[in-house]
Amino acid sequence: MKSVKNHISLIIPLFAILFSVEFYLIIDRIIQNYEKSLANDYSIIVVSKRPLSLDELKLVDEDIVSIKEIDASLVINRLKQNNINVDYNELKNFLPRFYKIFLSTFPSANKLNQIKAKLMKTEGILRVETFMKTHEKMYNFLIFIKNLSKIFLAIIFITSAMLVFKQIEVWNLEHQERMYIMSLFGAPLWMRNAILVKLSIIDTIISTLLVYAVYYYLLKSGYFSKFLGLEDIALNPDVLRTDMIWMFLLGFFISIFSIMIVSSRQPKIS
Amino acid sequence: MSKNVIIAKDLVLEYKKDQPIIKNSNFTIKSGEFVFITGPSGSGKSTLLKSFYGELKPKSGILQIGGVMLNDIKPSKLAFLRKYLGIIFQDYKLIKEWNVKKNVMLPLLIAGYSKDVCEAQTKRLLKHVRLEGKENYFPVELSGGEQQRVAMARALAHNPVIILADEPTGNLDEYSSRVIWSLLEGANEQLGTTIVVVTHSIPSNLKVPFKHLYIEEGRVYEIG
Repeated sequence: MKSVKNHISLIIPLFAILFSVEFYLIIDRIIQNYEKSLANDYSIIVVSKRPLSLDELKLVDEDIVSIKEIDASLVINRLKQNNINVDYNELKNFLPRFYKIFLSTFPSANKLNQIKAKLMKTEGILRVETFMKTHEKMYNFLIFIKNLSKIFLAIIFITSAMLVFKQIEVWNLEHQERMYIMSLFGAPLWMRNAILVKLSIIDTIISTLLVYAVYYYLLKSGYFSKFLGLEDIALNPDVLRTDMIWMFLLGFFISIFSIMIVSSRQPKIS
Repeated sequence: MSKNVIIAKDLVLEYKKDQPIIKNSNFTIKSGEFVFITGPSGSGKSTLLKSFYGELKPKSGILQIGGVMLNDIKPSKLAFLRKYLGIIFQDYKLIKEWNVKKNVMLPLLIAGYSKDVCEAQTKRLLKHVRLEGKENYFPVELSGGEQQRVAMARALAHNPVIILADEPTGNLDEYSSRVIWSLLEGANEQLGTTIVVVTHSIPSNLKVPFKHLYIEEGRVYEIG
């Protein structure tokens, strides 16, 4: 019973650390995927007196990856729908050129303002429409969630690492006499701490498997995407496999680090 | 001529600053000698023995064990040195979570012997200390005398160069004490192991020649 309690005392903080790290990684991935999809869908509309080329715009900003001219007849058709009494053939000759400009990533509001300012300075460009407000709200919300998850990660990491440290201190006290006797016969540090290392490996494996199970369920059920209101951005639970190797190594490193600290200040028994 | 295995020159030992337990003492112990350290209670007998296995570093002077200076010994070198020592304590210091066999095996495991060698040596030693059939007992299931015999077997397991014993029969009855003394005599006579024993009284029926170091008011005197 005591042994089970001891294991749980390490498994809980380790689980909390690994859970919060994985939470951060998943949020980060979802945001990256969302940024990609936004970047694919998002475009700036540019109105110009003269023809524009991609090479020319790339010199304005290197994040511009493609340019597509909007057919003037589409504009004429929209005007026709409004039943405005003009000579549309004549109008076509006077209309400026309309372009859709695509970017490599979804930009922040600042970046967008910079691009807009640079485009406006380009000769022949009459107007630039960024549709900033439409996207800014969602983007800012995602950045907020990402920053929140960073704070969450830091708080959980520090408090849980302290709990791990305390638990290893408890183990150390429990095994202190045995470790001291072993040292009297010349046992090296690794041999004296072998049992603590063994216990921490077992608990790290259990914590990692628990984190895997919880996130597998959350991703499979689409919980994260629903939570963020991004149901079309689904993450494949297979990404967890590689993550779990890193989670195990992280958990193991935290345990070993705590063991080393605790052992280095091990009191002597007389 | 036998080599000196323990050399102390102007040795000072203390726990608290400027309160020396052992003061400017000089003595040597030769390889294969059987040495008793005696003295009144609180005279520093156990403190002196502790310094031999590196638990207490000399405050000043020189202390050499098997050619190794203990004054500023590094933990890794101390661990190495201890592989050549066998230590016996009045309170046995057995690992209570381990059975008799594993306790005896401890120095062999540390020395890196194979499992077969460990098993064979442990079996031989347990027979030697008359504890056959108790391999799987835990220390708590044994009498004080039996526990000390396990500690004795553990001290002998790796054929140490020196056995250091701190009041090895202090808690034992007459019979168990006789067994322990005869085992120590055997190790000294048959294997040539240097034996250093801290005790209140030297047994009268000892068959081997011995050296006597007496401690009084922090000074170590060689009296025989």
